[in-house]
Amino acid sequence: MNLGVLLVDDEPLIRSGLRAIINAEPDLAVIGEAEDGAAVTPLVRRLRPDVVLMDVRMPVVDGIEATRRLLTNVDDPPRVLVLTTFENDDYVFDALRAGASGFLLKRARPDEVVRAIRLLAAGDSLLFPTAIRELAARHSPAEAPAGGLDAAGLTDREADVLRLIAQGLSNAEIAAQLVVSHETVKTHVARILTKLDARDRTQAVIRAYETGFITAGDA
Amino acid sequence: MPRARELLAIPASSTTWQRYAYLVIGAALVPPYGTLAGFVAPSLAGGIGEAAAWGLAVVVCGVALPIATGMLPAVRDLEIGAARRLLGVEVGELGTPHGQPSWPTRWRSAAWFVAHLVVGGVIGSLTVVLPPAVVSACFAPFESGDVQLGRLDATVPGGPGSAWIVPVALLSPLALVYVAAAAGVLLARLAPHLLGPSPAERLAAVQRDAMRLAERNRLARELHDSVGHALSIVTVQAGAAARVLDDDPIFAREALTNIETSARNGLRDLDHVLGLLRDDAPARAPTPTLTDLQRLVDSTRTAGIDVTAELTGRIDDVPQAVSREAYRIVQESLTNAARHAGRAPVSLSLNIGADELKLELTNPLDASHARGPGGGRGLNGIHERVASLRGHVSAGPDAGRWRVAVRLPLHPTP
Repeated sequence: MNLGVLLVDDEPLIRSGLRAIINAEPDLAVIGEAEDGAAVTPLVRRLRPDVVLMDVRMPVVDGIEATRRLLTNVDDPPRVLVLTTFENDDYVFDALRAGASGFLLKRARPDEVVRAIRLLAAGDSLLFPTAIRELAARHSPAEAPAGGLDAAGLTDREADVLRLIAQGLSNAEIAAQLVVSHETVKTHVARILTKLDARDRTQAVIRAYETGFITAGDA
Repeated sequence: MPRARELLAIPASSTTWQRYAYLVIGAALVPPYGTLAGFVAPSLAGGIGEAAAWGLAVVVCGVALPIATGMLPAVRDLEIGAARRLLGVEVGELGTPHGQPSWPTRWRSAAWFVAHLVVGGVIGSLTVVLPPAVVSACFAPFESGDVQLGRLDATVPGGPGSAWIVPVALLSPLALVYVAAAAGVLLARLAPHLLGPSPAERLAAVQRDAMRLAERNRLARELHDSVGHALSIVTVQAGAAARVLDDDPIFAREALTNIETSARNGLRDLDHVLGLLRDDAPARAPTPTLTDLQRLVDSTRTAGIDVTAELTGRIDDVPQAVSREAYRIVQESLTNAARHAGRAPVSLSLNIGADELKLELTNPLDASHARGPGGGRGLNGIHERVASLRGHVSAGPDAGRWRVAVRLPLHPTP
């Protein structure tokens, strides 16, 4: 079955370009488009896309708010891939905090775009580029939880799992790498989310970046 | 303490001689006052006696008049220019010429002018009398009887016993150079205090710098946004065209047109902002305010956009800062309208109330004028301007029209 993609961008030319790139792939299809964040939740309910490509800056409802609404109001929501013009865009960080699973520059090469869509649609991987670390570092002092991640009391194994999540590995890949069962990884992930008070993997990773638990050398 | 080498370098330094020139200029300014005193005193002498007449003439012509001269703004400008050029005082340490100086500043200028005259007068006089005195002193060992030193009212005894006078006399011009250099240093140290900007001028300069910097940052961000946006479109469209070239040549052709348009728009924005940055030279015309609104509307009409403008209230009641920003907001809104709605008519209404300025700009959201690249981005500048004045802005579609509504408080709220 084809993977369905919803394009959300206020610029028609970005949409038409991405549509052509995505539709040129045999296994991907653009099943809907929106030019503002306000339209996202109803469209997702109606079209059930696998991945939403979401622009950050839009005139009425921006990508951050649209992501937040989507993930709180829709059951079993699609993965959100945030699109942006600039790497060092503080809004991107906010969008990831809102629960987006990945982040891609509009200048990404066409094969990077389609690979990212397939990666996110395939499972629970995250797609964070290097720049997110700088963004996280910039945001960390005021917003990091007191005491850093030490206070969360992660076990060594949970810390390993968190590092692998941050590297973008899916549960299956983590299981393979740590030579444990898929179920064990899922248990670890659930405990990590509880201990970090994170809603999803993205939030857990952001918290790891913010607290300096994961630094440039790790991921 | 200056080191020996630095002391030895003083007579060879161009700074020394430039400062010397500055001192001599000061000396050259003295004679007019002296001459005037010479004219005035005899005419007063009949009434109040010779001594009193000269005393009065010296006080008036030698003290009061130079002080009055020093208070003239033009003299202050000249002194600042000369101090920069000849004393080598840093530009930032001196005030800005071409302003109406305040009274405390005028008094400081007057003090400077008098100091220039006095110190310059002393050095200048020494410069004039020393060479003949040196020449006479050099002949002293060969003369019998007392020798007058040039035109000075001083003598040295003649004869071989006065041989020591020759080296002393020959070294004295050098000593004068050192004295002049010391006087130059003194004036250079004094200049920032007497010719420097007043606290108010400093504050104004800092505010001007801050405004210019903020404006430049805003322009840089605008440029970053608009060019980044255009290049993103170019990248995405080109990537797509390459992918579908064989399967969908029609799309590929459209993509090439889009690439061309976006690149052109990006270049135009680049040109526009770089033009603004170039215009940002210090000598630029005063920042436009709402009083220049009519000209802006006229020039927009000339560009082919039908603008209906409606004004209620008195523009004169709007504080300068608000007026300046409001003008810019109108300017940016008109630019945005032209960019996104093409030549669609724009209606502008400006309402100046007792506490608030309301600005509304609408243009039709016509489907035939598809929004060009850059949607919503020109609004960033408006948002920032409004935020800096604690106003409100709303922008968006409203009953088939694009509407930008701005409210700015006319008086700062605590």
